[in-house]
Amino acid sequence: MSADPCRGAESLLQPYLDRVLTEAEVARIDGHLQECSYCSDRYVFERSLRTAVKSCCSEEPVPDGFVERLRRRCSDQA
Amino acid sequence: MLLLTDTLAGMASSDPSPALTAGADRTPFEEEALTHAEQLYRIALRLTGSQQSAEDLVQDTYLRAFRAWQSYRPGTNLAAWLATIMRNANLDELRRQSRRPVQEPLDDDGDYYLYNRLAESTPQPQDEVLARLSGTAILAALAEVPENFREVVVLVDVGDFSYAEAAGILDIPIGTVMSRLYRGRRLLKRALADRAGEWEAA
Repeated sequence: MSADPCRGAESLLQPYLDRVLTEAEVARIDGHLQECSYCSDRYVFERSLRTAVKSCCSEEPVPDGFVERLRRRCSDQA
Repeated sequence: MLLLTDTLAGMASSDPSPALTAGADRTPFEEEALTHAEQLYRIALRLTGSQQSAEDLVQDTYLRAFRAWQSYRPGTNLAAWLATIMRNANLDELRRQSRRPVQEPLDDDGDYYLYNRLAESTPQPQDEVLARLSGTAILAALAEVPENFREVVVLVDVGDFSYAEAAGILDIPIGTVMSRLYRGRRLLKRALADRAGEWEAA
């Protein structure tokens, strides 16, 4: 985040949300997000998008009888 | 890395556990393993793209897991151990069908690409667009992400595995997990942006 702080923030978006940055890096991003609505809008969007991805994959129903068929198949071939 | 062979070798040299005694009861292991079946199914569904293939893959995974159960070290991460087996089973199936897909997609856009594309047509993308973003559109876009990127995204963002666990499951360095994960998410956003017209129509 030197010459172009927005570009720097964009490049750290994913590790920031994954919580793998150092404290110093997080503080630098937080400082930038407080004064830059361009970047903070995009960070908020990314977070919401991840939640949407996760929930649409997790809410998909497992087929009826899935675990029962799995048990049966495993005990047949045990 | 949690390759089965490595695990077996490790077990042979040290750490004898009660599970290794002859005639040990496998039932408690089976019951604990089966508690992860739905989580594995959801990952399998994103890896294979169809319910039937996903169910077959999970069944194959459990058959392999139950055969190799004594190489599982109690107290270690059982979900990651099972996911490793599932990943290898899936690779075997892909090899059998000779359809290991293209590894490197060409274009890569920045992380703001999707938002910027949507902002061209909508003043407040973060609210409006996410409300319009149907699960169907997300799943279809995810299916378009090349497999070696998609599998990392699915393990971390759907399966809740850490970078380190994903590295173990996929047998790749953590740095590779990170680069494929970040790239995979960008490719997902690219695919979603390319589908923006469809959401408008829906």
